[in-house]
Amino acid sequence: MNTAQTAPYDSPSVPAPDQGLRSPRRAQAQAFVSGGLTAAIGAVGLVLGLSAIFAQPRQLVISWLLPLVGVRFEFGPLGGFFVAATGAVSIAVGIYAIGYAQREHWARFPLFILPLFVAAMLLVPAAGSVTSFLLAWELMAAASLALVLSEHHRAAVRSAGAFYAVMTQLGFAAILLALVVLSAAGGGDSFATIAAHAGGISSGTRTAVFLLTVMGFGSKAGLLPLHAWLPRAHPEAPSPVSALMSAAMVNMGIYGIIRIDLQILGPGPHWWGLTLMIFGAVSAVFGVLQASVATDLKRLLAYSTTENMGLVTLALGTASMLSSYGAPQVAAMAMTAALLLILSHASFKTLAFLAAGSVLAATGLRDLDKLGGLARRMPATTTMFGIAALGASGLPLGAGFVGEWLLLQSLIHSPHANNTLLALAMPLSVGAVALTTGLGIAAMVKAFGVGFLARPRSAAAEAAREAPASMLTGMGLAAVACTVFAVAPILVGPALKHVLTALPTVGGQAAGPALGAYLRLPGIAGSMSPGLIALSLLVAVLLVLALARWGARHRPAAVSAPVWACGADSINAKMQYTATSFAEPLQRVFDNILQPETDVEVTHFAESQYLVEKVTFRTQMADPVEQRLYTPVVRAVTTWSQWVRRAHPGSVHLYLAYGAIGLLIVLVVVR
Amino acid sequence: MTWIGKIARVGRIVETAEAAPASTITPPTGVSGSLQLRHVDCGSCNGCELEISGAFSSVYDAERFGARVVASPRHADGLITTGVVTRNMRQPLLNTLKSVPEPRVVIAVGDCAINGGAFTSGYGVIGPVTDVIPVDVQVPGCPPTPAQIIAALRTVTGR
Repeated sequence: MNTAQTAPYDSPSVPAPDQGLRSPRRAQAQAFVSGGLTAAIGAVGLVLGLSAIFAQPRQLVISWLLPLVGVRFEFGPLGGFFVAATGAVSIAVGIYAIGYAQREHWARFPLFILPLFVAAMLLVPAAGSVTSFLLAWELMAAASLALVLSEHHRAAVRSAGAFYAVMTQLGFAAILLALVVLSAAGGGDSFATIAAHAGGISSGTRTAVFLLTVMGFGSKAGLLPLHAWLPRAHPEAPSPVSALMSAAMVNMGIYGIIRIDLQILGPGPHWWGLTLMIFGAVSAVFGVLQASVATDLKRLLAYSTTENMGLVTLALGTASMLSSYGAPQVAAMAMTAALLLILSHASFKTLAFLAAGSVLAATGLRDLDKLGGLARRMPATTTMFGIAALGASGLPLGAGFVGEWLLLQSLIHSPHANNTLLALAMPLSVGAVALTTGLGIAAMVKAFGVGFLARPRSAAAEAAREAPASMLTGMGLAAVACTVFAVAPILVGPALKHVLTALPTVGGQAAGPALGAYLRLPGIAGSMSPGLIALSLLVAVLLVLALARWGARHRPAAVSAPVWACGADSINAKMQYTATSFAEPLQRVFDNILQPETDVEVTHFAESQYLVEKVTFRTQMADPVEQRLYTPVVRAVTTWSQWVRRAHPGSVHLYLAYGAIGLLIVLVVVR
Repeated sequence: MTWIGKIARVGRIVETAEAAPASTITPPTGVSGSLQLRHVDCGSCNGCELEISGAFSSVYDAERFGARVVASPRHADGLITTGVVTRNMRQPLLNTLKSVPEPRVVIAVGDCAINGGAFTSGYGVIGPVTDVIPVDVQVPGCPPTPAQIIAALRTVTGR
């Protein structure tokens, strides 16, 4: 942890060191190689992942690579699912990065790390043993940290990097401890051996492993209260990296929970599911609340990640709980919802972060209060962000809709005849999901409406120009994926079925929902067809357009009139809603939770108390969890460190004395 | 059901309507009984505003004759203006008039709007509304009573 913490300060503080040394042609070639390699690795991952989903589980052991245990890979449906999702995200991001790296003048170092990061992420779900898993996990964490720090000449980036390094390493420590305990109790290093002996593991060990893994993997997935690195690291990282981290890396936390707690150790006791549900629901509601009042575009998206991972965890908890109460069919429904939510989140969050990156590259702005007017200047990027925002808001025709619909159906239709816990937990969860979706729509309307429509609020936004072709291509791929999940989830139906079969402990073998042209739910009279909804909407729009054109023949010619500006000569950008003013009612309603710091300062003229010279309004949205929970911890650690520091004042003689005393103690102990 | 009985017993408590005055102009919408107005205060002392709000109050109830005050000139068939036109309000008045779709009607309420009234020689005054924009209906008085305002509105609504 210590080395990770100091890492940002070791880096040279010269801005973009080798930027001036490379010729443009050479930089172009390097960007092309790096982005292309990332996309190629992603494509390999996608193909391998898909084949792993449909083929028989296979194992690959490379015994010479690591001493004593070797490296073990396992290609099963569950791992394959996450490998394929990560690979697909990497293809889009890799192609995007070709253009982005050139436009943003990336240094050589991040260009080198980017494909490495993708490869490490692909190795995590493919790992078949504790050692390989931990190795891949740490490789992924280190690579992502290096990428977060790629603009290390800015102080905000260094601070975010330190935060991320500490949290990811603490999470790793929890996972390390959990997996070491697990492999000791399970009598082996490979996951297959542990799974075979899982029945013999004592309940105390299981509980410890569960709690540690939920903490460790939860921090990677951005669950409350271990989410604090997300809204810091995501905005400060370069946008393709944010996309990879938010769309693919957080999924690894979910993968860990599914793999260890649901697949290997499951079915757990009732409270495991309940714990996951509570963590999920609280994260979802808190994340979306923070997203709806955020004014930084990428910070908003980062909180939206917390929200979506919360929903996924809620679905996992529901599946685990229903399965332990003997309702495998509904559990399978919740599990399908979780898998679909992971896929749709990966697609729309990739797209959203890439579009935000285009905006950032074109204007240098992340602040929604200074953006606007991009629809005219960057029409393609605006369309892309629109698709992503629709997906994130969970409305029909959006990528997230089918997953959220399934989750709600499974919560509503969970059988709770004589069970107080289920009868309480399920309706409360329905409320949490409904609140999350509603606020999510507000957040996304804000991001899209304030950020992209209306008039530019700053000179930088006015001078924006469209992103180059490679960036648009990357975004286009993600947009296609969004559309598929929104309109034709039938295409991923067979894959999900295979993954579910590999998860017998959460109702995997029961007949789950049929993802056909119609979504049919087993034993429930509910069905829905996203494709038909899209088709009918399309027909309705075309019909209205045709009718309007037909009716226009009889109308007199249109007259142009000046825009009504309440009597003023013309409207200007200052009259528009800003992100802050749009979220103000919400901020007022949730005042107790958000605890905003607002400050109104009225300056009067010296001549008269009745005339106002100027009014200053300042508002700051800090994360209350961070302030309440992290600040005291950081302060305590600092105090202890100061205290411990007295023991090493720099005197070599003293250190030699410490060594001698230590040796003496060891000799006495082992005597 | 006592409250329904009470309503039946009390009946309507508005000023009794006089016979409809003769229409002076055709309603701008071509339909009688519907007149949506946007109010513009060009520089009034607010006496006319009080009387206008009285005219639209529950006692005089101008809405039963089809006249309404609306929030935007885009929704309006005409303007109802009060006060002398001050320098600062000249352009906003012209902008507002431009924003009302044609055909439209302009009603000037109060002596100030018609001939400048008490504020004719003020330093910030351009002149009465009649000097700045064409006015169709004039309601003299300083201020005119709600009954006078309603009578003028009825010549436009035709009810």
